[in-house]
Amino acid sequence: MSSRTREIWKPVAPAETGSGRREFLRRTRAIVWKDLLIEVRTKQSFTAMAFFAALVLFIFSFAMGADVRLLQATGGGLVWIGIAFTGILSLSRTYQSEELAGGLEGLRLLPGEQRAIYVGKLLGNLALLLTLELFLFPTAAILFQLELWRVALPLAGVALLGTLGFSIIGTFYAALAVHVRARELMLPLLLFPALVPVLLGAVNATTLILTGDPDGAMSSWIRLLVAFDVIFFVVCTWIFPLVLEE
Amino acid sequence: MGKTLKILGFSALLLFIIGSVVGLFVVRADAAMGDVQRLMYVHVPAAWLAMLAFFVVFIMSVLYLVQRNPRWDLIAASSAEVGVLFTALTLALGSLWGKPTWGVWWTWEPRLTTTAVMLMIYIGYLAVRSFADDPDKRARWSAIVGVVGFIDVPIVYLSVYWWRTLHQPPSSPRSVAPEILFALLLNLLAFTVVYVYLLGRRYRLAVNEQELERIVAHQTKQISHD
Amino acid sequence: MNSPNLAVSLRGISRRFGWFWALRDVDLDVPPGTSLLLAGPNGAGKTTLLRILAGVLAPSRGEGRLAGAGLNDNDGIRRRSALLTTRGYLYDELTALENLRFVSLMCGSDTSPATSAGILDRVGLASVADRRVGAFSSGMRKRLALGALLMRPVPVVMMDEPFASLDDHGRALVDDIVEEMLAAGQTVFLASHQIGDSLRLIGRVAFIDRGRLAFTCAADELSERRYAYFEDRE
Repeated sequence: MSSRTREIWKPVAPAETGSGRREFLRRTRAIVWKDLLIEVRTKQSFTAMAFFAALVLFIFSFAMGADVRLLQATGGGLVWIGIAFTGILSLSRTYQSEELAGGLEGLRLLPGEQRAIYVGKLLGNLALLLTLELFLFPTAAILFQLELWRVALPLAGVALLGTLGFSIIGTFYAALAVHVRARELMLPLLLFPALVPVLLGAVNATTLILTGDPDGAMSSWIRLLVAFDVIFFVVCTWIFPLVLEE
Repeated sequence: MGKTLKILGFSALLLFIIGSVVGLFVVRADAAMGDVQRLMYVHVPAAWLAMLAFFVVFIMSVLYLVQRNPRWDLIAASSAEVGVLFTALTLALGSLWGKPTWGVWWTWEPRLTTTAVMLMIYIGYLAVRSFADDPDKRARWSAIVGVVGFIDVPIVYLSVYWWRTLHQPPSSPRSVAPEILFALLLNLLAFTVVYVYLLGRRYRLAVNEQELERIVAHQTKQISHD
Repeated sequence: MNSPNLAVSLRGISRRFGWFWALRDVDLDVPPGTSLLLAGPNGAGKTTLLRILAGVLAPSRGEGRLAGAGLNDNDGIRRRSALLTTRGYLYDELTALENLRFVSLMCGSDTSPATSAGILDRVGLASVADRRVGAFSSGMRKRLALGALLMRPVPVVMMDEPFASLDDHGRALVDDIVEEMLAAGQTVFLASHQIGDSLRLIGRVAFIDRGRLAFTCAADELSERRYAYFEDRE
């Protein structure tokens, strides 16, 4: 074989594309970049979701009545329900760009660690939800008369942990739901029971931040959220290729 | 297998009758709670078997994902169905117990709440199965749900336990009289045999269902080729 | 079977979808630097075979090697092969250049703008490099998909119905590219249910029907062998 042929014959191994970890990061960044670019170019979906989130919180106010004390006591929980409902909308669109392009097979055809696809999509969902929360929390503060500014930093921490848990499980199940019939039903059906620890942890931590923590229960909730995030990040990342499989 | 199942079936029935008689009539009623406490002889075994059933789902799901043997998948699916049955029973009995004892149909007691969440997780498992036509995909997706769902259960329990007890002290378990323990264990044994029997029957049904699917698929293919 | 000198070597490859066998007991040996046409009627199993060779589908039974990697080495296979699909998998909201950039980032191939520009030029899309793919015609999409293929210099190149959606110029482009690939030592698989256009480039033909490899022959023998096969089948 000619030297040029020998060049072609040699496949592009991970060593040439950077070590395994660098390749993983590069692929993850590629997914995030691509999804961000598409999201920016179809702006209307983000604003629609922000509007939907505000609407949900608004409806809660009506449902709870005008009792300020009640709203303040339950505000922490209500805002997380708002995040969960809005989050489901964003999750169901996680793989939409791939589906419009013809299917997840397009990504599977490209060599490299497939788990990078999961991590990339996860980061995308996380970023999107956190951005929505930048809008959601202040809206809740206004509607439910919550004093957020003083406790913005710990609140941000809890929001991050909770949203991370939501995104970890959500991105995973969203990939599963892509293949199954009745997807709009399956995703919430699978997701919400699995999310119970995250919801409990986030709601309780948020409420404790807003209304005070006499018993020092905060650390337990934080530990729960962290444990959930770590455990399911490992499990979901590990199993992800099985979800993609044909 | 048919013969084994018949023997199992008779044993299950026998043990169940004995267990019920012992629980209802032979053992003395609890001093504090009265006859309602006898529900415990059914409620607690049901709860244990629900956990066992879902543990079986977990193990079989893992085995399937590793070996891809359809048999594991069918056992998992059968166990999930039987498990849902026991879970629903646990919840119903818990509710029945709650009304006369605490005056409420539902309490957010950690174990009961976790059982309710477990029910939802495994209904999700069965829903995934019902929405997939291809047997390989059905097996793979439900196995994934079976694994992830089971890992979630202890975390759910922990979170609900903290939720209910961080502000109030947990109700301390009272010491159990030996004869109550005996009745409990007897019923536990009875329920376990019932579970194995139901699992066996459901599995056999599943095998036949799959065979039927295969035959129908072949005939449809033949028709489409002519 | 372990011959290192074969680009592709398959033994008993079978694939089941549910209860339906899409491929049955396919044996195939393809020397490197040659071209193979996968011919056969629609639904025969050509695309399934290509997907197995591309590493996105695992065989239900059988074993094989592609450019030195075993079929069970999923990532190894994907690094050694590239598949031009009928769908293209292009993102409508991204420009032609961005689509190529995405592919190169994901695969680890050359990401320099000069290379992408050069490839777009090669496939005749230089003038629309910065236009969103959503506005492309099906012929332009095919050309872009071809460009994405060119971004990855792999030992085994596969094209599923490459001539579909293309006009005469487009088809000539495919011919040229296949010729260049063969000259460079790459092995090329073409799957097509319409035989005709590229026969001059084809070395051998593997005819697939109803999931089985019916026969293999040289390109010029195809018509007679096909006729004979269908005669026998009745």
